[in-house]
Amino acid sequence: MSAFHFDGLVWHWPIAIYLFLAGLSAGAVFFAIMLKHFKLADKAYLSPFVQAAAVIAPVAVCAGLGILVMDLTKPLAFWKILVFYNPSSVMSMGVLVLLAYQVVLFAWIGSVFSSPIQQWLKQRLPLLSKLLALLARHEDVITGVLVILSLSLGAYTGFLLSALIGFPLLNNPVLPLLFLISGLSSGAAATLLGGVLMRGNPNGVEVRFIHRIEIPMILVEIMLLFTFFVGLILSGGQSEVAALNAIGEGFWGWIFWGGVVGVGLTLPLAFNLWMKVSSDRKFAYVAVTASFSLIGVLLLRNFILYTGQMTGV
Amino acid sequence: MSVYTVTKAPQANTSEQDSGLKYAMVHDENLCIGCNACEDACREVNHVPYGVTRVKIERSGPFGEYPDQSYRFIRHSCQHCEAAPCVKVCPTGAAYIDKETGIVAVNEDRCVGCQYCIAACPYQIRFINPETKVADKCDFCQQTQLSEGLQPACVLACPTNALVFGNLKDPDSALVKTLKSKPTYREKVDLGTRPKLFHVRTIDGEIVL
Repeated sequence: MSAFHFDGLVWHWPIAIYLFLAGLSAGAVFFAIMLKHFKLADKAYLSPFVQAAAVIAPVAVCAGLGILVMDLTKPLAFWKILVFYNPSSVMSMGVLVLLAYQVVLFAWIGSVFSSPIQQWLKQRLPLLSKLLALLARHEDVITGVLVILSLSLGAYTGFLLSALIGFPLLNNPVLPLLFLISGLSSGAAATLLGGVLMRGNPNGVEVRFIHRIEIPMILVEIMLLFTFFVGLILSGGQSEVAALNAIGEGFWGWIFWGGVVGVGLTLPLAFNLWMKVSSDRKFAYVAVTASFSLIGVLLLRNFILYTGQMTGV
Repeated sequence: MSVYTVTKAPQANTSEQDSGLKYAMVHDENLCIGCNACEDACREVNHVPYGVTRVKIERSGPFGEYPDQSYRFIRHSCQHCEAAPCVKVCPTGAAYIDKETGIVAVNEDRCVGCQYCIAACPYQIRFINPETKVADKCDFCQQTQLSEGLQPACVLACPTNALVFGNLKDPDSALVKTLKSKPTYREKVDLGTRPKLFHVRTIDGEIVL
């Protein structure tokens, strides 16, 4: 039995990447909306950070779905998931959320960036122009719906795994919350990284705003991770065995303590606290902190997916 | 009236009409000799490719001192759960419970191969058929033997009559008589899946704490 190949393994790393990208997309959009609502208002479309989120969110969710379709044993039959629905299936309901999310996501991008796009169009394509004006008029409704959909998408990836009753590590009520919060923080990190790469000011109002939310978010994530494993251990029986196997010695134990806890949570938290007291933020600080968060969340997805499937009752 | 009396049994099936038919199976580990005739018969009748199987007999042992040694044979195949996790999670309804017979079946046309059912099955008996690329498993020979009025291939092939197949709702059936005369167990009942594959535990096997 090796870390990546063992009896009972059904879902491999492509699924972990999909789980990562879906959460990242939801998080990026969530923070772009927060930035616009609390800080930037009508000038949001000028911010490199909002622009980065508007690119990252659709690309990430589409790439994730592409990976998912390629991972089917019958990729050409993927459309059947869009036609047939089973209300008791988490995946089926997730497909609905993903569909609605993508439509509303593009509508939101259209509404937020309507004035630059209109300028660029210059009366060409009157139909598109009219559509953009319509979207811009209903921006508040679109934004509200998108907040709900992005949070649903962030939690859905956790519910997808927690529905697997045969695996005590996955069949855990804390998992959807843990995935939601870590997905949001990966989205925040991606927005920051994309923003500074697009020449956004690393000491700007956007970075300060996101960093202020990131500190409590990392603390909540640590608390959820703690609850997740203590809950399993206190449940006893197979749950306890599963939890201790996952975070004990061995390859995945190293990934958990070194990658998830060390690189993904402790270092970003330390950097964030340090940047809070030092007055000046530089490109490298922001980029490195964000990269560490992203690596941590990607490792968390792989860790949960693999150790979860190792522990069939 | 207490509120509890109107609460349904957890995950009870809610089919309105009673077809009077609900298939189940007993595997008597004391009669089983581990000859694998069931596996071969299943493969032949249901055209199951090599490398995968719908039914597997797992051998453990030997127990006891020579010459008084014995083995334990456990059948691993679809348990045809009343509250089947695979049916619950299948996004397209490709995994379904046949209301008429209680058989957990697969609609091959609907399956896209997401493998959610394989991950969800606590008994780990589902697999992707390498030829059809569809989630596959035991269906009590519904499409082959039962449709011709025959017993499942594994039951007919068993030389020691270790397998008893029949209608759970018929009190005169050999199945119900076996269930009432022998102590049986089912795997992982604590998960609430209510499997319909019953086992008679071997007398000679080890005792595990």
